[in-house]
Order: sequence, then structure tokens, then C-alpha cells
Amino acid sequence: MRMLLVEDNDELAETILDRLRSEGHSVDREINGDEANDLLRFSSFDIVLLDINLPGRSGYEVLRSMRSRGDATPVIVLTARSEIDDRVVGLDAGADDYMIKPFDFRELSARCRVLARRRAGASSNTFSAGNFRFDRAAKQAHVDGRQLELRAREVQLLEIMIDNLGRMLTKEEVADKLYTFDETPSLNAVEQLVTRLRRKLEGAQLIIKTARGLGYIAYVNDDD
Amino acid sequence: MSTTTIEARRGHSLKRRLLAGMAAAFLLLLLLISLLLWNYAKAASNRTYDLLLAGAALSVLERVSYNSRGPTVDLPQSAMDILALAPDDRVVYRVFSPSYGELTGTPELPKPKDLKPSVDPVFYDAKLDEGFRFVYQGRQITSTNGREWVFVQVGQTLNARKSQRDTLFLYGMAGLGGVSLIGLAFVWLAIRTALAPLRAIAETLHARTPRDLSPIEGDPPLEISDLFRAINSFIAQLGRSRALTESFIADVAHQTRTSLSALQGQLELAADAKEPERMRDRVGRAERQAERTVQLTNQLLANAMVIHRSDETHLEPMDLRRLVRDTLAELLRERRLRNVVISLEEANLPSGSAPIRGDAISIREALRNLIDNAVRHGGPDNSILIELDADAETVWLAVSDAGPGIAPADRARAIERFTSINRKTAGSGLGLAIVRSVAEGHGARLELGDSALGGLRATIAFPRLLTCILLSFLMMLPAAPSSARDLVIHAATDPGAIQPLVDAFEAQNPGWNVIYREYQTVDLYQEVLNGKPGAPADVVISSAMDLQVDLVNRGLARKLWIPDTLLPPGWARWRSELFGFTWEPAAIIYDKRVLSEKDLPTSHPDLVAFIRKNEAKLRGKIGGYDLRRSGIGYLFATQDTIQSVQAQRLTEVLGRAGARSYCCTSEMLDGIASGELSMALNVIGSYALKRGPDAANDNIGVHFLEDYNLVMSRTALVPKTAPEPEMAEKFVTFLLSVDGQAIIAEKTPLIPLHPERGGLIAQGDLPLSGNPSFLPIRLGPGLLTFLDKIKRDAFLHSWISSFGDDGYNP
Repeated sequence: MRMLLVEDNDELAETILDRLRSEGHSVDREINGDEANDLLRFSSFDIVLLDINLPGRSGYEVLRSMRSRGDATPVIVLTARSEIDDRVVGLDAGADDYMIKPFDFRELSARCRVLARRRAGASSNTFSAGNFRFDRAAKQAHVDGRQLELRAREVQLLEIMIDNLGRMLTKEEVADKLYTFDETPSLNAVEQLVTRLRRKLEGAQLIIKTARGLGYIAYVNDDD
Repeated sequence: MSTTTIEARRGHSLKRRLLAGMAAAFLLLLLLISLLLWNYAKAASNRTYDLLLAGAALSVLERVSYNSRGPTVDLPQSAMDILALAPDDRVVYRVFSPSYGELTGTPELPKPKDLKPSVDPVFYDAKLDEGFRFVYQGRQITSTNGREWVFVQVGQTLNARKSQRDTLFLYGMAGLGGVSLIGLAFVWLAIRTALAPLRAIAETLHARTPRDLSPIEGDPPLEISDLFRAINSFIAQLGRSRALTESFIADVAHQTRTSLSALQGQLELAADAKEPERMRDRVGRAERQAERTVQLTNQLLANAMVIHRSDETHLEPMDLRRLVRDTLAELLRERRLRNVVISLEEANLPSGSAPIRGDAISIREALRNLIDNAVRHGGPDNSILIELDADAETVWLAVSDAGPGIAPADRARAIERFTSINRKTAGSGLGLAIVRSVAEGHGARLELGDSALGGLRATIAFPRLLTCILLSFLMMLPAAPSSARDLVIHAATDPGAIQPLVDAFEAQNPGWNVIYREYQTVDLYQEVLNGKPGAPADVVISSAMDLQVDLVNRGLARKLWIPDTLLPPGWARWRSELFGFTWEPAAIIYDKRVLSEKDLPTSHPDLVAFIRKNEAKLRGKIGGYDLRRSGIGYLFATQDTIQSVQAQRLTEVLGRAGARSYCCTSEMLDGIASGELSMALNVIGSYALKRGPDAANDNIGVHFLEDYNLVMSRTALVPKTAPEPEMAEKFVTFLLSVDGQAIIAEKTPLIPLHPERGGLIAQGDLPLSGNPSFLPIRLGPGLLTFLDKIKRDAFLHSWISSFGDDGYNP
């Protein structure tokens, strides 16, 4: 993947660069907010890692001008300000995720992969994660090359979970996306559907986790 | 620096407190004196204004006479004029005789107690719809039956008395206040002197360095030895608190340094390691140590942040349920929680929300720490249960895990800073301390117990916010339906003259619909007076100023708050209840085909001579108001008798010339236009001046006299029974506003009251307003004289005897 890291601290930047390059990504680095903004105007990246406290313009401003240009590149905001409600500020400005320093590098790589997969899943017809592969056009899913027998509703649910990889969905949200206007969405039916799909996905590296009372979250179990 | 200002303020406040005590004593004294002063002011103002009442009563009594049918009275204008010296007061009067009953005025006014017939005035207070002061006085007149008593009662409201009383009282109080201030200044000096020893202590404290927490030494005066001891005990407390802080800092330093030393040690060992195996092992340990250091630092910062935010100012109404759900949704994305079974139990939550007053940032930090603890101590097959529950007073947030839990004996210790119960799973030892600080900052309790899952159950019990439920309930209420509301205007004015004003007002006030009904002046007056049920008006507009004054004098109108800049001149308003908004002179209109401008008379005496001279030519061709039916006609006619001694003669001359009477100006204008009339008197000039230029109107001339021309103002009032008083007030304000006056000038046949706002109307070279011959009729009790029943009957009688009983021309 082609990534851009915008971070003014040299030591931190160096470790992040080493980590990501060792995983096979090509990573550019910018120190200054203004320069990052200029670069983003003309080059495209798969993921941008954006520090907030930057010389030149701040990370939020860079992000806002990206989004106002219609640039939908996934952005992970890096910040040291834990007590500010960064989630609201950052995600409102259009960030896809954020991490508070000091962070776990494995967690960072995992989040990058989630974003990349979510993006790839939406833009191409095939989604694959480890031993799991899903073909959107053919509506077919494979685990270790073995095709899964999926009903139409299960395929639909699988698509919804893949589109929201790494994001928690409530039961109501799933029902909303799953059923059309005239169908009566039943939360029990959603529960049963998730249970069925999870049973069929047994052994796959795509995992759908249930948090009772909260909802569902899909993740890929290849991150170690 | 900051300690300096605190000390300084403390000294000031003491002095002020002493001074306040003295001021309170002075105030009590002032209160006593003010009671005496109040009674004096009341008596003095009563004495002054009783003279007005007495004068008015005397002037009425003087005009009592005896004729064939019994005693009668010709109410003198002077009586009302005397009473109008108290300009804002309503007036009532009554003339009666024990043998003949009521003669005139308001019947059955309250009489004084212990009444004996007397020629001396008796003054007393009585309450009608508001407080009134009355005079009661009698006179004996000689009749065919011998000597008869006739009594006069005159009453007036108390506005002028009250304002005189208040003025007297305030002046007196101002003087006393001044004296008190001087007294207080002396007290101030005395206090300063007395407090000198305190200042000495203050200076001692000032001179200290912040590190010096030893007790103050010295021999304080008897009165402040308590204070002295208190200061010393405070210093001691400060010392203890500082010792605590210092020990915390020492703890923090110790923990951080220890952690960093361990990290450094592992890294050095790794650097010195000979075999790669050993090195990898050391680096692995160093990494885990670094993780612990990061965790420790984060929690130290969180601890500091939570304590810093634990004052009231960060708390605001919020839904704990949403915060918990959002925080959990976010935590769930973390990899370390993938193998933990997490569930949220909130089904018992009433009404689906958990309203509290809270600080979202602190509570999120507390919840994170509880979950961290649950993950850390939960063991391999961990599951975590988060519960949210509430009753009427409390909201509970509980986190349970499946770990080993904490023995009851250790629970109190577990909440302390830097203590971990289980050495194997120990974290920084700050987690529960942070949670406790958050709970304390919210007035909540932290309780540790056993969980159903086998491990620890940590519960925070927040006080539930009741107003929050009310608030959300209010917000769910549907907005009030915005159907149009009606403002009802009853007016004695052509709809054509009012419609442009109504249109503009409706445009300015969307959602309001103005309902307009046209009346004759007398009918309108009767309707308001009798309070016709079912159709209460919001605004009453009439050209009959005297009838409007009578309605206000009877207490039927509401006080309006019109901005000072829009107020009409003094003659065109009364008691803040009645407001004139037009300027309409009485004029003579004539047929240019029959009469020429240069032949027309120039003064009222000339007018009599002119009609007499041209009697043959003008026979049956002079028009005037029917005084029985037209309020404005009666007003102009009666005001003429006050201004000119010729008025009675004019009536006679008109009668002889066969003058005809009409109900309204428009009919007379039509009469001139058609040639039926050659001349009409006391016509509302503005209608004629602003009648559009067409062939018929070209024949109508408008003529003003040089001695005087009466000017009437159309007035508006808001009855007390108005269903929409606020909008009604807005409408009256609009009539007087720059916009309203401009519309009157440009779009109606009326002339605005403020010529500078509406454009000056000129007749030839003669600017109408500002010309001294134009004599505005003043609103006030003076207009009540000719509404007296006997007076009115007599006036109309003489008019009918000139014009004939059938003088009315349909």
C-alpha cells in the first residue's frame, strides 16, 4: 500500500516508518502541514496517517481541506491530546479513525489493514482476508477454497459486515440495512441470521463477534 | 502574588461587614423617620389637591338654580378645567337634591359617614374601581316649597396626589439619606481605627515567605484572640495538606523513576547480552516494561486530569446510556478485547435513558479504567458484564468480571492510590483511584462487591437528574399550533381610511388577522360603555374625542406602554391610555361654482355676518352635522361655544337660513359636488383636502378662518376587556410609528399627527400645522363638561329649536 505519514517528531516518525516499511508498504513522510496539504493535492495515497500538532497548518485543517476537495482517502488521526473529545472533533472533521499517543504499533498496523480492506471491499468485487474470500459479483464466499452454501439474506448480511469491517453495528442498524421498507424487520430474525452465518463462517479468518446488548463487529483474525 | 491579594480582600470584607451592620442600624432609623415623613407627605398633598376639589364643587354649586320644574344646574367649563390641573386624574361628579333626587352626573356615589347637611365641604376617601378622593358640599336654595338642599359630590383619582406625595417623600428621604451617609463616613473612620491591630497581623502574614508555615507569634488584643487562634490552626492545616501533596509527588516520582529504571536496566542488559537468544529475551522484557510505563504515565495524567475536572463547572445534563454505548462501541475495536465476551445489560432502564449531571470526559475515563481492570484481572476465559439501571433517584453503572475478585477485607485498600492487591496481574495501582475521583466529582458513590460471574463488581451510583426527564418531555411536546389569531378593531372611521394601515400591520405580523368593524361614533361609545357581550374589541378608534375621554374617565381603558420617541404631543394623549394619531382640522367647504374664495369670511364673527348677508342665496344650501347623531359634530359645536361668544348666534343664523344637517363629512362633500349644497361648516378638512382630483371634486373648495380653526385628533384606546391586549398595544404603537404615520400621509385621506414624519400638507401658501390659528382640542377632563346630561340636553335643545325637529336630512 502507498501511505503518507505526516508527523513532525523525527524519532516517532522513524519508528513508524520502519514498522510500516517492514510490512511491505511504501510510505512517504511530511513534516509540515502546508507541505502535506500541497502533496495531497497532486498525489494519491491509500492511507494517510495525520498528526494534529503540526508546523504550518494543523492536522484538522489538512483533513478538512482534503474532504472539501472530495478526497475520500482513509485518514487515521494521531494525537497526544487524550482529554479533548478527539473522537467527536476528529471524526466530525472527516477522519476514519484515530489513535492516542503513545500507541501500540501492532494496533496501528491492524487499524491500517482494516481501513485498507474496507476500502478495497467497497471498490473491488473481491474481498479477501487470510483464508476467506468473498466475491461480490458472484455472491459467493470461500473458506480455504471451499465454497460456502449461503442463502440470499446471509450474503446480504455478509456484505453489510464487510462494508463495516472493524466498526460496531447495533442490531437495529443491521436490521435497517437488511430489510426494505415494506418488510417488518424483526430483531429476533437478525439474531438468528447472525448465528447461522457465524456457524457457516467457522474456521474462517473473518470473524463476526457479538457483544450482547450492544451489537456486532466483524474483524479479520490475521493480525498477529 | 496570589496570596497577597487574598489577604488584602479578607481585610476589606471584614470592614465592610462592620459597616453593613452600622448601615442596617441607620436603615432602621431611616425606616422609622420615613414612616413619619410618609404620613406628612400624604397629608400635605391631600391638602393641596383638596383645594382643587373644593374649587370645582364651589363653581358647580354657584351654577345651581331653581326653575319651574325644580333645581337644575348648568355645569361650568371652569369646574372641569380646575380639575384638569391634576392632568392625569379621572373625574366623577354628582348633583342631587334630597327632595328631587338625582339631577346630573354619576348617580349613587359613595357618601361620607355621619352625614349632616352642611354648607362646609367634607373631604373623604372612597373606593370605586380604584381609589378616589371626594368632596361633598351642600347649598340651600330658595324654592316655592321653601329652602331646599342641593348637594354636589366631586371625586378625583389619586394620581396627582400620589405623585406629589412621592415627590415630597423622596426629597425628604434624599436629605435624610445624605445625613446618614455622613454618619456612616464617621463610622467608617471609627472602624478603621479599631481594626488597626488586625492590619498589623495582615502585615506580618504579608511579610512571610510561602515556605514559612510556623504559627504567628504575638500578643493579640482580647477581641481578636479567637481570630488569631483560628489563623494559626489554619496554618497548621495548610502544613498538613502540603505534606500530603508532597508525599503524593514523592510517590509519583518514585513510581515513575522505578518504572523507568527497570526499563533502562532491561535495555542495558539487552545491549550487553552476548547471545542473540538472551538479547531477544531482554528486549521482550523491556518492551513489556515500556508498556507498563506508558500505562502508568497515562494513568497519572488521567488521575491529574480527573481531579482537575472534578469541580461543578464541567457537569452538564447528559444521558449516561448514550455515553456508555459509545464508549463501549469504541473500546470493542481494540484487539485486546477480541477474545473477551462483553455484554451490556440495560433492559431494566426505565424510559430508555439514564439522565444525570455529568462530565462526559471524566466518566469515559472511569469506564475505560473499570474495563481495563476487568480485562487485566479477568483471567483467561474472561467475560465482562456492563449493567446500567436506574430508579427515581439513582442511576447505577456497574462493571463485573469473571476473575478472582477482591476479598471484602482488601476492598477499601484497593481504592487507595498505588496499591495493587494481586501482584501477578498488578497494573499501575491507579485505576480504581481514578474511578473514585470521578465518582466524588459527580456526587456519586463507588462500591465494590461480588459479581454473579465470580469476580469483582464495581458500581458507580450517580444521583439521577430529574429535571432532565422533564426537559426531554417538554421537548417532545408538539409545538403550539400556529393558526392565525384575530385582532378585532372597532372604529368610527371609513374603512378606506383604515384599510392601508391594517394591510401594512398584517404584513408586519404574519399569523395575525385583523377584523375591522365600522361604527358611528355614538354607537361605538355605547357599545364599549355597555360592554356588549360576545364581541369584545381589542382596539377602539373614534374621532369623538370627548366620548373617548369619557370611556377612559370611567376606567374602561388599559394603560399602554408606548416608546417615548413615538409619543404624540401632550394635547393628544391622556393618562397613557388614550392616544391621538391624526391631525384633522375643522374646515369650511364650499362650491367654487357658487362662492369665490375672496368673498368668504375670515373669522367666526364674520361668518355670522356673511350668512346673514347671503341668506337668500344660501337658503337650504348650507350643511352641518346632525349634532344628535354625530359625535364629532357635537364636539366641534361645543368647542366652538367655548372659543367664541358668536357660537350661539351662528346656530340661530343657520336655523334662519334653513341649514340642513348630515351624519357625516362624506355626505356633505357629495352634497357640494352635486350642487345640492353651496357650503358646509365644521367639516373634517382632511377628507376634503385629500379627496382625489376629479371633475366633481374640482368644484370643492376648502376654507380656513383666521381667528381660530379647531383641530381634532382621531384617538385609539385598548379596552380592559380586550382579548389580545399585547397585539392591541402593538397596533396602537404602529399607528404612531414612523411607518404608520407615513402610511396615513400617503395612503389614507387622513393627515398624520407628526407632520415631519408624514410630509407636510399645505393649502395654497398656508402650511396647516404650525400655524397658530390651528387650535388642537386637548384630551382631558375638560371634554367632560358638555357630556353632562343637563348640559347636553340644554345644548341640543337650543340646536333643535334653530334647526327644527326634522333638521335631520336623510
